[in-house]
Amino acid sequence: MTLPETRYATNGEVRIAYQVVGHGPIDLVFVPGFISNLEVQWEDPGFARLMTRLGSFARLIMFDKRGTGLSDRVDAHHLPSLETRIDDLRAVMDAVGSGRAALLGASEGGPMSVLFAATHPKRTRALVLYGSYAHFHSWVLGRDGLEDFVRGIEQAWGTGASAPKFAPDQDARFKAWWGRYERLSASPTAAVALARMNAAIDVRSVLPAIRVPTLVIHRTDDARVKIAGGRYLAEKIKDARFVEMPGRDHPIWTGDVDGVVDEIEEFLTGVRPPPDQMRVLATILVVRLVAPERLAAKLGDRLWSERIDAFREAAKQIVARHHGLPVGEGAAEISARFAGPARAVHCAAAIREAARGLDLQLGAGVHAGEIEIHDEQATGFAIHVAERIAARAAADEILVSGVVSDLIGGFALHFAERASEAIEGMRAPLRLLAVMTEQHLEPRAQTARKPSLEALTAREREVLTLVADGLSNAAIAERLHLSDHTVKRHVANMLLKLELPTRAAAAALIGREKPLRGL
Amino acid sequence: MDAKTKAKINPVTGASIKQALESRDGHMLSSFYADDALLRIVDRNNPPSKPRELKGKAAIGMFWDDICSRAMTHRVETSIENANQLAFSQACAYPDGMKVLCLAFCDLKGGKIARQTVVQAWDE
Repeated sequence: MTLPETRYATNGEVRIAYQVVGHGPIDLVFVPGFISNLEVQWEDPGFARLMTRLGSFARLIMFDKRGTGLSDRVDAHHLPSLETRIDDLRAVMDAVGSGRAALLGASEGGPMSVLFAATHPKRTRALVLYGSYAHFHSWVLGRDGLEDFVRGIEQAWGTGASAPKFAPDQDARFKAWWGRYERLSASPTAAVALARMNAAIDVRSVLPAIRVPTLVIHRTDDARVKIAGGRYLAEKIKDARFVEMPGRDHPIWTGDVDGVVDEIEEFLTGVRPPPDQMRVLATILVVRLVAPERLAAKLGDRLWSERIDAFREAAKQIVARHHGLPVGEGAAEISARFAGPARAVHCAAAIREAARGLDLQLGAGVHAGEIEIHDEQATGFAIHVAERIAARAAADEILVSGVVSDLIGGFALHFAERASEAIEGMRAPLRLLAVMTEQHLEPRAQTARKPSLEALTAREREVLTLVADGLSNAAIAERLHLSDHTVKRHVANMLLKLELPTRAAAAALIGREKPLRGL
Repeated sequence: MDAKTKAKINPVTGASIKQALESRDGHMLSSFYADDALLRIVDRNNPPSKPRELKGKAAIGMFWDDICSRAMTHRVETSIENANQLAFSQACAYPDGMKVLCLAFCDLKGGKIARQTVVQAWDE
């Protein structure tokens, strides 16, 4: 997606950077924690996911607090009070024409949201507090912990070294991004000042004054803010709902982002979002053992079972090698999905080879269509179509639908037309084609059969020789003592047998086939 | 004032819809809906196969409250109506100039909106 435009709201002489994402009916303001940068945030996939999903049901309004990110820098030694920040938030809402908004306060954004909701109840539709707290020293860091944290900033700000303290389950990529996020969100001096200012946060006395619907979400083992901090918020805010989620990563855009957004969406819209389903175009391969009972009867159950296990294992590896993903397994069937049709057909051929080595016979069906993917399980009509095609395939045959052959085009695979199959739910009978075993390395035109003179009768050769000499049908008739009509028929038959379009082409052929002269 | 009286004061017509929308009167808008009304919204985020559905007067009232709390302008440009149906087009603009265009089609029952489908698109 294209990045949303960054704009600026004005509060007095200070400009506050903001972005708006989405067009949902509810206005939702994301109140960030410690530091933020509106544009660097989008570089993190988790963050982008969070924002995109929130923006799907709300008009999401994001901003950088003054002194951070893209907003005006402020004197690090005279940082603004929490009240000034709340006024910045109001200025951003005014700028986007938001009369009333739900607030999503994450981490240090929580106390700020609490204060806003208490100060401007009419402009607060609802409150969502994630990984947050009311009193820094009770639930985030004690006084010694704060000094360690400040030392960490002074020594390693912008290196990403602090990432594990916030998000222990994230990888090296995240750590590198986190370092960049730090550098572009605040200078080291500002970061120290912000940390000290946050440490002074105590909004415990404000909580009973909150009168808006409130949801508190906290991860059980949050690495930065103890879950007791979240529980306290939910206890002290009237009728607040508390949701505990597993995990220890603190930033709201890490870990199970979708789980967090599902809770928020349900709380704000009253509707739980439908489970995440994805429709993708895929090529489905179904391979089916042909007459397995014959070999099963011959081998006996134990040997048969070993043979089948070996086959399944081999097929699994071959599918993986062709970048396929398993779809399912039946008693005599294996199915897999692929991103491209040629891969599916090559995979079918490789599995067939493996099966031959185990004395098994396979029929394979390949079809392409849209499938639904839910929890990594693929379902859909296209899969059943592929099963039907596989059922039609004879032993050792790979049958593909017309869709597949059209998609593959000229990629070194050769198909032969088979009878179409009527399938319920499809408008027209499905074209079926068999994959030919030989693979043409050169374009087909060059390997086309050469016209052979041997197919001609003696009379036709005679006619051909005269045609090559440039005689007209009438002249040939006279020379051979035949009727015009008979000569015409001989010429027509001759062209048909030679698969040539004109008598001139036939004459040219004679020119190349010298030995014919003098017949 | 009971619901019946209110419905008489604010019958659902192109004119009353225009008045309520253009004055951003969420309360008046809510009064147009039947208790079990269904409002379906189709837009870029809510495709036709999975429209956003708001069921019941309370949810729809909340929706209009949200929309009307925004400092944006709404203009009902065209409306077409008969005894059981009402359709109208609505041109909206945010303070920064970004535009939204909505087409709405309503089925009426007993003088209230029983079912409404909104299709909308916006500048991006």
